[in-house]
Amino acid sequence: MSQLKVNTQALFFMLLVAWSAMCARAQDTVPDPKPLRPVAAMFQVQYGHAAVTDTYLSPLKYTGHAIALRYEAQQATEFSPKKWTRLLRFGVDYDYTHNPAGNHNMHTLMVDAAWALMHRWSNVATQGLQLQLGGETQFRGGAAYNAYNSNNVVSAHIHWNIGVMAQAIYNTHIKRMPLTLRYQALLPVAGAFFAPDYDEAYYEIYLGNHKNLAHLGWWGNRFDLDHTLAADFHLGNTIVSIGYRNRINKSWINGIDTRNIAHMIVLGIGGEFMNLGAKSRNKLNVNSISSIYQ
Amino acid sequence: MKKLFYTLIATMVLLALGSCHDQVEWDNDPWGNFDALWTILDEHYCFFAYKDVDWNEIKAKYRGKIHNDISSRELFDLCSDMLKELQDGHTNLIATMDVSRYWIWEQYPINYDERLIDEHYLHFNYRRASGIKYQILDNNFGYIYYGDFASGIGDGNLDAILSYLSASDGLVIDVRSNGGGFLTNVETLVGRFIDERIHAGAIQHKTGKGHNDFSEPYHYYIEPAQGRIHYNKPIVVLANRGSFSATNNFVSIMKSLPNVTIVGDTTGGGCGLPFTSELPNGWSVRFSAAPITGPDGELTEFGVEPDIKVDMSQADVARGIDTILEKAFETLKYKRLND
Repeated sequence: MSQLKVNTQALFFMLLVAWSAMCARAQDTVPDPKPLRPVAAMFQVQYGHAAVTDTYLSPLKYTGHAIALRYEAQQATEFSPKKWTRLLRFGVDYDYTHNPAGNHNMHTLMVDAAWALMHRWSNVATQGLQLQLGGETQFRGGAAYNAYNSNNVVSAHIHWNIGVMAQAIYNTHIKRMPLTLRYQALLPVAGAFFAPDYDEAYYEIYLGNHKNLAHLGWWGNRFDLDHTLAADFHLGNTIVSIGYRNRINKSWINGIDTRNIAHMIVLGIGGEFMNLGAKSRNKLNVNSISSIYQ
Repeated sequence: MKKLFYTLIATMVLLALGSCHDQVEWDNDPWGNFDALWTILDEHYCFFAYKDVDWNEIKAKYRGKIHNDISSRELFDLCSDMLKELQDGHTNLIATMDVSRYWIWEQYPINYDERLIDEHYLHFNYRRASGIKYQILDNNFGYIYYGDFASGIGDGNLDAILSYLSASDGLVIDVRSNGGGFLTNVETLVGRFIDERIHAGAIQHKTGKGHNDFSEPYHYYIEPAQGRIHYNKPIVVLANRGSFSATNNFVSIMKSLPNVTIVGDTTGGGCGLPFTSELPNGWSVRFSAAPITGPDGELTEFGVEPDIKVDMSQADVARGIDTILEKAFETLKYKRLND
């Protein structure tokens, strides 16, 4: 019995030692607090030259003004924030173009929304160069309107696609001012889009003939590329962006060719923003991982 | 990683280059503008086969007349003459100085005198709503004049009009010299004179540049206007050569209804839905692009024949009588007696 009593004491002691050891081990493995992930947001105004052809409306190329507004927000992902980043983008593009003779006008209004998830590689080739590459999905919809036409007065454009989004980002300095050079490209690969038949009137669609209006989109019947090269100047907490954007939207299906090419100057303003809720405020002493800037 | 990056850039450049495909461009000179006009019609006009037109022969006939010193006016006239070969009221060349036309009604008696009706039948006492002039005449027949299918027709207006005319013994719908407008107004109006869904016709469209590249006909139907006032007594529709385009479509549909008689002259036709294009010099061209058949499946490009053919006699006009309207009254009286 006394033997048992001794053994019980020994067992209690061993458990105490083991618990202490576990606690010590647990304290050693407490994970780092989650890093803050500021949102790099940018609002852009763009202006430039547009060349629009839509053979449903006219066989001639219209040229004129391109105006666009764009908002984009990028943030490191919650999972693996140093390696992944996501981007959300909204835009409105308006082209006001004229025929070669200058007596007819065409209005083209398109809205788009894109979401992308990109892997990031830091310090590629040289210090400060970051590459991001991933998948995107985009909706783009709107219409071209030529008031001089009769039953082909409007050409609707509705696209949904998935594709590639890539960014090359180089963070450097001009004297003491941080500067970020950024190239961003969105390249849809496949998707679906709307197109009427060769000379199908929208009246026929209104009557109920909805056959063959939706098409699988691929590089055999459409091509889109939207890319921007910008220099982001860090003025305190504000970032002022100056750049160039080239937009190419083409489709060729049912004998209807559409091409809309714009070259635009980009002016943007933005910064990095954080949600400083109660939890976040307690973490102000923890690391912050930017999705773009260093 | 560098390799991947360079591969990506190279792929994008190649794709951008690969997506470049030829686009037809014409010079802005007399030949270039003529070729643009001829090609646009060649690739989009829908009645070459129906009208048995050899478009290549027509090109040979007219292109040779172009010379270095041709003026803009002369080129316009030459192109207009070429388009008139198509005998199509929907095909026009539009420039700042003129609009070419092939208006068939200009070759036939007018068969309509608005002033005569206003003075001798309506006595300048009529109601007007949604572009529709209406009244119950002395003989207790209702009269509607609708002169433009581009005038929107409100359901509330139609309710008011047909409610008022419900006291009449029969109705005359006069669409003489109505040059057309919106086909949606045709549906709105017809929907008040039917009690069940009717087959209104079929529409086709070109599927390619070939003269015989057409889609299968898409048959469409008109539903009765639900919950709205209808007119179910005998109806006579008055037509003339000036009843064109959407009006021609209206007459072809009304003709298929059992309680409707078409009186007057053959309509002006125009059953091709027009599209518009343009030339390098800024001239526009409108042309028939999508054929629409009537309920009987026939194209009415050259008009809808009336059930009762009547021309206005000048002797009647001099006495303040509309010969066609009088025939309508006679028809309604006959129907009233025999119903």
